[in-house]
Amino acid sequence: MKFVLEAMAVRKVHFIEYFPIMFKTVHHLTHAAVLLAFVLPLQGNTTWAQSELWIMRGTWNTFPDSVPALRLESDSIWTGRNAAISRPADIPSSITVHNTDSLDHLCTLIADASESTLIPAGSSAIIEMPALPLGVHRLGLVDTIGDRLGAVSMVQAGLTELTADEADLFYWNLGDWNTESIWQIDAGDYTGEGESYMPNQFTINEQSYPATTEDPNGAIEVQLGDTCWIAIANHGLMDHVLHFHGFHVLIETSTHHPERIGWSKDTVPIKRGEGMTLRLIANLPGTYPVHNHNLIAVTNAGFYPGGMITHINVQP
Amino acid sequence: MKNLLILAILSLGIAGSSARAQQVPPQLFSGMDGYTFLPDGTPIPIWGYGWVADGYITLPGPLLSYEQGDFVQLNFSNPSPESHTIHLHGLDVDQANDGVPSTSFLLVTGDETTYEFTAAHSGTFLYHCHVTTTLHLTMGMYGMVLVTRPDMTLYEEGPAYSEDIPLLFSDLAIETNLDPVGSYPFHDIRPDVFMVNGVSGDQLEASDRIVHFEPGQPLALRLGSVAYSLIRCIFPEELNAVCYMSDGRPVPNAFAPDTLDIFPGERFTVLIEPDADWDGHLPCEFWSLADGTLEGTESIHIRDAALEVPNISWDQQNGFPNPANHHIQWSGSKQLTVTVFDARGNFVTTERLEDGVLDVRNWPNGVYIATFPNGSASRFIVTE
Repeated sequence: MKFVLEAMAVRKVHFIEYFPIMFKTVHHLTHAAVLLAFVLPLQGNTTWAQSELWIMRGTWNTFPDSVPALRLESDSIWTGRNAAISRPADIPSSITVHNTDSLDHLCTLIADASESTLIPAGSSAIIEMPALPLGVHRLGLVDTIGDRLGAVSMVQAGLTELTADEADLFYWNLGDWNTESIWQIDAGDYTGEGESYMPNQFTINEQSYPATTEDPNGAIEVQLGDTCWIAIANHGLMDHVLHFHGFHVLIETSTHHPERIGWSKDTVPIKRGEGMTLRLIANLPGTYPVHNHNLIAVTNAGFYPGGMITHINVQP
Repeated sequence: MKNLLILAILSLGIAGSSARAQQVPPQLFSGMDGYTFLPDGTPIPIWGYGWVADGYITLPGPLLSYEQGDFVQLNFSNPSPESHTIHLHGLDVDQANDGVPSTSFLLVTGDETTYEFTAAHSGTFLYHCHVTTTLHLTMGMYGMVLVTRPDMTLYEEGPAYSEDIPLLFSDLAIETNLDPVGSYPFHDIRPDVFMVNGVSGDQLEASDRIVHFEPGQPLALRLGSVAYSLIRCIFPEELNAVCYMSDGRPVPNAFAPDTLDIFPGERFTVLIEPDADWDGHLPCEFWSLADGTLEGTESIHIRDAALEVPNISWDQQNGFPNPANHHIQWSGSKQLTVTVFDARGNFVTTERLEDGVLDVRNWPNGVYIATFPNGSASRFIVTE
């Protein structure tokens, strides 16, 4: 088994063609997971790697609509939220992606979109990732359905090494959505957004306010005096801009604003497709909102407050 | 006698703190009964902030100016029919003073409060209402905060400059302002008026809106935005612009911007030292964040102060007869929009005048101020 997987990686053959049947149905997934749990430790990367992701289909229950959704789950269990994965900086690595959906999908490290990997329905593939510089890099599906139904996540390169405590590393996958378009995409009659794009949902880690404040990865819960890091990836069709109450944050890495590394800001634009890392020193006790300062992005289906709002809670 | 003594003690207290004049509360209030005027003179209802002493609200709200290091006590009252707050955007105030209803407090109708904070950093900041923010901010409840240094440097060991030029970008959706209650859902609000310091188009050519410079004397453009759009400022080379600060902090790498993008809530401080005799415009584009379309361009006129001011027709300034007891007429215009305030600054009326005639029958006696869309104004008296 080990030999087979490594050989495929070297040859850039991305399909695990050898047991596609097992992935065909959800019924067989448990079986497959048990098999992979046996196989994957042999690959090596065991200490830092989330070595697998599952493309899963489910329902995003949002107000006032419930829409079809795709996610890159950390396990073969539907949570409705994309997993973020960690890798050391500057070392090539890989990730195995299992496609449990009934459609084929194209997956890639989005910053390195030269080569995307087809993962047929019910099959799996290994995505090879080059050495990534310190920071946040988008990873996910690049076929229209995979992208706009939300199977998009991030690779945090070298960030766990920055933090003394993993609990001080938070992440925000940003998204903007038009739920009507999601239905069109799902029905296969989507013609693109263009100049009439009018998103009605705005999310952090695939949730909108107030659910965002209950998200252990997104809502910042720290002690007074702590330093924490926030990994941000903008997966939306728009630029977004986050305003921090109570604090200025330091821009540590940025894929689209490298000239701003080292800037101290309270209002931080994150361009469409950008990955960014912020450092925050929790020097003020209390609860403070962080929110998009585009006033339509703090609504759910047009109602305030909602959308891209979370909070920072600093315990004295 | 006792009262006099208390008064004396109070006076001493005030005198003692007068060195830091900002502490003596110039009181801010919130109102929901103001107007702003489009370049064609159409009045649009606004909500906003004003000085209590003035008695009226403005778009944007009054500029709040402090000195770095000031302990600020900002007194705020709310006589308007709905609850409001002041969020001090970028000043990193504590939770109690943050102006967010769910984590701080609401100021209900008829109530009064004092926001307290230390202006620790120099720079450009904002303030706005954080109650149903999308609506209240769109309606006009925002302004700029400047924290400056007495030595006229931008920050410690930063560059020196001669004058602050606050330039606050914003926009409004006429339909929303005409019918705030019916403005849901908010995500389809599309602004149709794009503003710099609350005015747009020809209004920016009014003499008091033009930015004047003296060669060799750098001006600090205090750029900030509360618009829906992305603002893109396109700096002509002759301005010799250098960006030194963003969001109330020096940037580690000052840079000369060709264009500068300002997202909602962001601020930049840009020093300009234009070439002598320069007379031109700084174009500022408003781009939709949703779909990337160019929605409007507003231009800031910048001119060497030594240049001769072009002749402006002042015809419509002087009305006659004055004093008036029946009507007052401004010549020089067939169709004329006038906005009248009383001597205390309270809004009286906005009217489109036929042949420049305003009917003042049955008006209370007193002094009135007439203002016109081109920025000019005149006083007149109504008698019996």
